[in-house]
Amino acid sequence: MWTLLNSGSGFVWDSLRDFAGSTGIAGLFASMGWGNVAMICVAFLLLYLAIKHKFEPLLLLTIAFGMLLTNLPDANLYHTSLFEGGHVHWDIFVANAGLLDYLYLGVKLGIYPCLIFVGVGAMTDFGPLIANPKSFLLGAAAQIGIFVTFLGAFALGFTPNEAGSIGIIGGADGPTAIYLTSMLAPELLGPIAVAAYSYMALVPVIQPPIMRALTSKKERAIRMRTLRPVSKLERILFPIMITVIIALLLPSATPLVGCLMLGNLMKECGVVDRLSKTVQNELMNIVVIFLGLTVGATATAEAFLNFRTLGILLLGVIAFAMGTAGGVLLAKLMNLFSKEGSKINPLIGSAGVSAVPMAARVSQIEGQKEDPGNYLLMHAMGPNVAGVVGSAVAAGILLSFLG
Amino acid sequence: MNMLIAKGMDWGWSEMLWTALISICLVFFMLVLLVLIMQGFGYVVSRRNAVAPPSAATKAQTQLHEEEIAAIATALKMYRGDLHDRESEVLTIMSIKRAYSPWNSKIHGLTQMPDRK
Repeated sequence: MWTLLNSGSGFVWDSLRDFAGSTGIAGLFASMGWGNVAMICVAFLLLYLAIKHKFEPLLLLTIAFGMLLTNLPDANLYHTSLFEGGHVHWDIFVANAGLLDYLYLGVKLGIYPCLIFVGVGAMTDFGPLIANPKSFLLGAAAQIGIFVTFLGAFALGFTPNEAGSIGIIGGADGPTAIYLTSMLAPELLGPIAVAAYSYMALVPVIQPPIMRALTSKKERAIRMRTLRPVSKLERILFPIMITVIIALLLPSATPLVGCLMLGNLMKECGVVDRLSKTVQNELMNIVVIFLGLTVGATATAEAFLNFRTLGILLLGVIAFAMGTAGGVLLAKLMNLFSKEGSKINPLIGSAGVSAVPMAARVSQIEGQKEDPGNYLLMHAMGPNVAGVVGSAVAAGILLSFLG
Repeated sequence: MNMLIAKGMDWGWSEMLWTALISICLVFFMLVLLVLIMQGFGYVVSRRNAVAPPSAATKAQTQLHEEEIAAIATALKMYRGDLHDRESEVLTIMSIKRAYSPWNSKIHGLTQMPDRK
C-alpha cells in the first residue's frame, strides 16, 4: 500500500502544481504584472464613486465591473486581439471569443449607442425646443468645445481620428462619444467612455464657475418670457422632419439622429404606448448593461495605463469647459441683437452641452441663486435637447471627414 | 479630407485647422437651417390654429376663470380629504401549524408539578 502511494507521489505533486498554476492568483503574478492590479484598483474606485456618490451609477457601475472582469487573470472574457487594427477578425472569432467579445460586437458595429438613442428619444420632451427654435443656436455654440479639443488633442500628438474621438467628449453625450470612438479610434474606447461619463457626472462642479465668470449679476437675473404651448401636431411632425432633413444633408449622422427621433415619435404619437414604455425601460436598461460591461472591458491595462489616458482626461475637461463657455457667450451675443423683453438668460446657454437633464438643472440652480423666483428649467431644456441633436450632427460631420 | 487619409497622407496643422473650421461652420449651418425650418413651421401651425374656429371643448376651457378653477380644485381636495378607507370588516383567525411556540407551550402555560425527592 505504502509503495503504491509512494509511486504516485510524483503524479500528486504535478497535479497540485498544475492546479496552482491554473488559479487566478498564479495568473496575477505570471502574466499581468502591476498594470492589471492597478486597473483592478481603478475599477474598485469607480465602483465606489458609482455606489457611494452616485456618479452616473447606471453606466459607471457596469463600466467599472466590465473593467474588473477584463483585468482579472485568465478569465478569458474579452480578447483585444480579436479587434486589433480597428476591425473584427472573424476568421478566429468563434474559436477564441469569450462572453464579452460577443457582447462587444454591439459596440463595434454601432448597435448599442443607436438603441440607447431610441430610449433617450422616447424620454425626451422636445416641446421647449419646438416652442423656441433659437435654442438650436445655443446647442450649436456649445459644440465649439468639440472642435477646440480636436485641435488640442492633435497638438498633444494624437492622430486626427483619435483627436476627433477625444473632441466628442465635449458633446457631453455618452452614446455619441462611444459611437464615434468605436468607428474612429476603438483603442481609446475605454478611457474616452470613462472620461465622458465621469465628466457628465461632474457637470454641476465644472459648469457653475465658468457660468458665473462669464456673466454679470444682471444677466443671471434675466427673466425669460413664458414659452408658447406646443400642439400635438407639431410634436408629431418634429421628429419626422428632423430625420428627413438630417438624413438628406448629413447621412453619416442618420443612425444616431434617426434613432433619437424614432423614440421621440413613439412617445409623441400616442398610439404605441407599449413600444414607448419598452424602449424607455426594458430595452434601454438591457442595452445599458451590455454597453457598460463591454466598454469597461476595453479598459485593459495596456490601453488605459499610459500618459495618453491622462491627456484624454485633461482634454475632456477642456472640451466641457469650452462647450459651456461657447453656449454662454453665444447667448450673450444673441442678447445684443434682442429687444428688451425677449432677452435670453445666458445661463441657459451652458445647457447646450447635452448632458440631459443635468446641465439644464445647473442652469436652473444658478439662475435661482440670483433670483429665487426665476424658473429657467424649461427654457434651459431647449438648448439641452438641441445639444443632443448638435452633438450627433458634429459626430456625423467628424465621421464623414475622418471615417 | 477623407481621401487624404485613404491615400495615407499625413495631416498637418493646415488640414486640421480647415477641418475644425469647416466642421463648426457645418454644425452651425445645419442647426441654423433647422431654426429657420422650425420657425416657419411654427408660424404656419400658429396661423392655422388662429384661423380654425375654436371647438366647444376649447370654448368651455377658455370660459373658466381662475377663481372657478381654484374653487373646483379646492372642492376636489376637500372631497378627497373626507374619504376614508373602507375595510372589509371581516375578522379572520389564521391557523398556523407550528411544531412549537411559546404561545402554545404547556410548559410555560401550566403550573408545574413540584418535584418529589
